Amino acid sequence: MNMVDNPMVGALSRYLDLTAFRAGVVAGNMANIDTPGYRTRDVDFASELRRALDGDSTAKPVAREIPGLIERPDGNNVSVDRESLLLAQTQLQFHTGVELLRSEFSRLSIAINEGK
Amino acid sequence: MNLFGMMDVSASALGAERIRAEVVAANLANAESTRTAEGGPYQRKQVIFESRAQRFPLMLAGARGAEASTGGVQVSQVVSDPAPPVLRYEPSHPDADAKGYVAYPNINPVMEMTDLLGAVRSYQLNIAAVNASKQMIQQSIDILR
Repeated sequence: MNMVDNPMVGALSRYLDLTAFRAGVVAGNMANIDTPGYRTRDVDFASELRRALDGDSTAKPVAREIPGLIERPDGNNVSVDRESLLLAQTQLQFHTGVELLRSEFSRLSIAINEGK
Repeated sequence: MNLFGMMDVSASALGAERIRAEVVAANLANAESTRTAEGGPYQRKQVIFESRAQRFPLMLAGARGAEASTGGVQVSQVVSDPAPPVLRYEPSHPDADAKGYVAYPNINPVMEMTDLLGAVRSYQLNIAAVNASKQMIQQSIDILR
């Protein structure tokens, strides 16, 4: 097994890709908070991550419209609370991924430096 | 979409909300303007926001590296409010009509101020999104350390 390109690093990089994509979708929702008729979009995180981990790394993640949100009279259904919470959550998920990746690399570094 | 793409999306919203605030400021500044280049009193202006995602659906965003900008917002046009002007009886005014009425712009300061507040709040929300993307970019740089 390749030491640098181990499964943990591969999985984490896909996790980070998907988290960054979701953060972009949330930013898009926030950007369109005043656009009449705009519908909130989101990523089905669990199923998209499963798809990415099952080796289908070329498939791009898909953002879909979310049903069941309260719509304003202008047809826009972006909720500030939902998006703010989701942004905070996605940010922390990203941070988790980054820290795990760093610990993975620091373990590698320990091995390279003969345990020093 | 990468993290810098996320910043572009938020930046588009910052620009659009700024234009909206500027239009409100223009409306308030011209609340008493009875003369314009087009003739007649000033007409209240309104911005029309348009989602950029409608033009480039996320599904069709293309291959990696050549991604179209998705999810942003833009001001598609600034339109004039067709509401009729408010007539005030001021016979001595140079712009008064034959009956002594002057046509003033139909601008409601309360409406303009609520619109301004909405623009400011949306601006703040998108600043929060920019800060989030900044932090995420910084964290990915920290992997290198």
